Amino acid sequence: MAMKRRRFLKALGAGTAGIAAFSCKDQDAARRISAGQGSTQDADLKWTKAPCRYCGTGCGVEVGVKDGRVRAVRGDEANPVNRGLLCVKGYHLPAMLYGEDRLTRPMRRNDDGRGFSPISWDEALDLIAEKYQQALDEAGPESVAFYGSGQWGIHDGYAVTKWFRGGLRSNNVEPNARLCMAAAVMGFMTQFQSDEPMGCYEDFEAGDDFILWGNNMAEMHPVLFSRILANKRENPNVRIVDIGTRRTPTSDYADMYVEFKPNTDLAIANGILHLLVANGQVDQTFIQENVVFRRGIEDLDRIGYGSWGPDGLGLSPDDGPAEHYRFADQARPSSFEDLETFLADYTPARVSEISGVPVGQIHALADMYGDQGRGTVSLWCMGVNQHVRGTWMNNLINDIHLITGKISRPGSNPFSLTGQPSACGTAREVGTLSNRLPADLVVMNPEHRAKAEEIWGIQPGTIPERPGYHTMDMFRAFMRGDIRVMWVQTTNPWVSIPNVNRIQREPNDGRFLIVSDIYPTPTTEAADLVLPSAGWVEREGTFGNSERRTQHWEKAVDPPGEAREDAWQVMEVAKRMGMEHLFPWPEDDWHEPMFEEYRRFGLGIGKDLASYQQLRETRGMLWPVVDGKETRYRYAAGYDPYVQKDEGVHFYKAKGFGEKAAFWLRPYHPAAESPDEEYPFWLCTGRILEHWHTGSMTRRVKQLHQAAPENYVEINRADATELSINSGDRVRLISRRGDLELRAKVDGRGQPPRGSLFVPFFDEARLINLLTVDAMCNISKEPDFKKCSVRIEKA
Amino acid sequence: MLGPHRKSVTDMKPSQPKLCVSGWTPSGTILLAIMAILPLSACGQDDWVPVADSDGAMKSSGSVRAERRLYDGAPPVIPHDLFGAACSSCHDPLGIAVDGVGFAPANPHDDTDRAHATTRCRQCHVQVLADGLFVENSFHGLAQDLRPGSRLFEGAPPTIPHRLLMRENCAACHSGPGARAEIITTHPERVRCRQCHVPVTTREATLGYLEVRPSSPEGS
Repeated sequence: MAMKRRRFLKALGAGTAGIAAFSCKDQDAARRISAGQGSTQDADLKWTKAPCRYCGTGCGVEVGVKDGRVRAVRGDEANPVNRGLLCVKGYHLPAMLYGEDRLTRPMRRNDDGRGFSPISWDEALDLIAEKYQQALDEAGPESVAFYGSGQWGIHDGYAVTKWFRGGLRSNNVEPNARLCMAAAVMGFMTQFQSDEPMGCYEDFEAGDDFILWGNNMAEMHPVLFSRILANKRENPNVRIVDIGTRRTPTSDYADMYVEFKPNTDLAIANGILHLLVANGQVDQTFIQENVVFRRGIEDLDRIGYGSWGPDGLGLSPDDGPAEHYRFADQARPSSFEDLETFLADYTPARVSEISGVPVGQIHALADMYGDQGRGTVSLWCMGVNQHVRGTWMNNLINDIHLITGKISRPGSNPFSLTGQPSACGTAREVGTLSNRLPADLVVMNPEHRAKAEEIWGIQPGTIPERPGYHTMDMFRAFMRGDIRVMWVQTTNPWVSIPNVNRIQREPNDGRFLIVSDIYPTPTTEAADLVLPSAGWVEREGTFGNSERRTQHWEKAVDPPGEAREDAWQVMEVAKRMGMEHLFPWPEDDWHEPMFEEYRRFGLGIGKDLASYQQLRETRGMLWPVVDGKETRYRYAAGYDPYVQKDEGVHFYKAKGFGEKAAFWLRPYHPAAESPDEEYPFWLCTGRILEHWHTGSMTRRVKQLHQAAPENYVEINRADATELSINSGDRVRLISRRGDLELRAKVDGRGQPPRGSLFVPFFDEARLINLLTVDAMCNISKEPDFKKCSVRIEKA
Repeated sequence: MLGPHRKSVTDMKPSQPKLCVSGWTPSGTILLAIMAILPLSACGQDDWVPVADSDGAMKSSGSVRAERRLYDGAPPVIPHDLFGAACSSCHDPLGIAVDGVGFAPANPHDDTDRAHATTRCRQCHVQVLADGLFVENSFHGLAQDLRPGSRLFEGAPPTIPHRLLMRENCAACHSGPGARAEIITTHPERVRCRQCHVPVTTREATLGYLEVRPSSPEGS
């Protein structure tokens, strides 16, 4: 009957049919429309455009303002990302700015270590300059650090990287993206020598098969998932495959759910490659023209996990906590013949034994990737990236697309999704990772440093050659005292760092921690100086989303109290340290000239950003933007202006591989810590739909808080029954690093398999990162928040 | 799929305004009981019954409407249990009411009557599971705009004073027991609403147009 009604709706067009079912009891009702009431109505609002503040999707919103306050948002129908649709977080954006506990004044920790007292901006900025100068004088540029995030606008990240590398001569600049996207960066860099996806969101309409690797897209990228669902609605042959370690709301929409044992996605990907090669479902012409083969270090005991042993090469907690992890991969040439030999270990039977995935599903996956008649899009985010072999997993997914030639084609691409609104725009493109400069340049390369020094107008040789600490080693160095002054902006590491016990500190411990934020958090609680920041549309800015789209917004309202934007805070300190030459622009009009200077890094090398003026006028542009035109598919003839060929692809950025892409052979390795008798459960952590990141913004919105008020642990019904745990019971989770009391949830929105638990990380009062392990990806140094072992007891 | 059995729109005569009886209770238990028996008895082919104005129905408008959303235009929260049922089993294009209990508002979205396989209601609508706030919040949202659309002359059809995205099913708000009296339609039998009513709003007028600052001399 539902079908019948739907056809009827269609026949009448635009869903007005239901009206026939009713009559009106008052024939004159329509003429008695009352006059408007209420203080803030639609017609009174001034609307401006902005990208959403939260995830890497980059939905366009229109922001309605009256009397200096944001009163409403609506999905921007003219923005091609979301076409007017938002998710629940996006619709509730305006209230995020108006929590009563907004930080409005700089505050310094009292001398006795207890509490904070307000100070003036001048005092605060002088103090920061003094602390940085003192550390530089006494202990050198390696003793200072800056930790930001992919929530920085492009201007903020650019101001910091320029000040630190070109002013303080320190590469200790890191973003929270190290915890989030670093493995994807290293995947693209090791294979294409240029970061970020080749495809764009139009892949969601152009593709036939969508293969989600450890990706709960229905909750984490809801609007993009809606685009896939819309495609499926119009084209019933569209298929969604959910490859995961627990059932999620995404699984409900999947045509096939593939459940695997944690970390064995490495084996599954190799199993797919095995079958593609064995069945001859490889594109030999494409490979010969466009692909080279490489191998790296593969021995477990030469790699380790970064968590244990003096150099992080240990394999168990018995080796003691690591202070450094500096593993460096070594490439050696390989070949298709070598690959065939390598893959002999990954027969469907063996992969099934390792992963727990039925042989039939491995065949089904290989058949989907091998079918040249269908477009295949692989999608992944934290499941693949937060992985002790995250770069390897990125490599393997890209490999599958390379070996089948299903890459840089509309509807066929490996598509890495990002978690933060400007993980791409700021962390990756501006290059606020400790080894990077803007536009894929790196500090290790003398020509790259020279280019940066030229653009920045500073003395040759200013930028240091040696990369700074990666995030995990940066916080370890801070706790050792090797880093004396650290400034944190737009992120909340005292909630989000794994094994967070390791960074607990007492005030007056000889180090100085500055934290800029819009609300108090556990990170501001750890600080010596707290600065109030302007949030989202309280300042002008630019973000770069997952599909290479740079989006600009104008300031719409004033920030509360004395709050100021992050880039301004940085520039003011730089000026106090005699580095005003780095920021030579008028105080009331520096956004455009700063962006135009930054833009020079990418022009002519395939990383061309749109002009600031063009960004103002559009709903964002996909780089490379050449002659004012954006690029939807990188490396693809007919789409990318840098490709001179008439057809096919050209990986022109990969100069080191003869302008071909590198296929990396990568083996299966087990997780750093697996369940045993003492700690028999896997623990996976992550986000939920309602709360973004550590919840410091979304928890202050009534509707989101009331939908997800506190942290909980999802447990399989059979395990719960065996342990006499009912849904809602208080339970205790214990790992080798910490313990935590939570309520159990059975048959909730996610359903882990037996022997597996899931806990979100948004709740600062119930910190799951007390339990997680600081093991990390060997190449990208991104920690694995998805796998450690715990036991569970009734509390 | 769990859910009340009812006539399709095509089976109903426009002159007979009737609704299927179903609904929820705060606990959900009675609902499930009702749902279990409905397909067999209460909502059989001949059991469409008129719905009187009940307190429950009237609550769907006015202050309760405002209470359930952050501002006018934000998606309302889910104020009831989920019952393990597809949302569309109650929130279909018509809406469902129970005398003395309440009205399950009709779904205003174009594609809401689609199969569960391709629609995700809970992307935007979240369930209220707790009282209280994490921190007090001073946000004051956009109020519902009750000003009428304009008319060329007395008797001409009024224009549509709001945008239509996610509000494609006019009947959801302009008819049925949950509709405000001020906007209820006088002519539900004229099913092609936009033949006569066209959207002319400040919202529509601003769409696609943004004030752009001229480039400063330093730029590009």
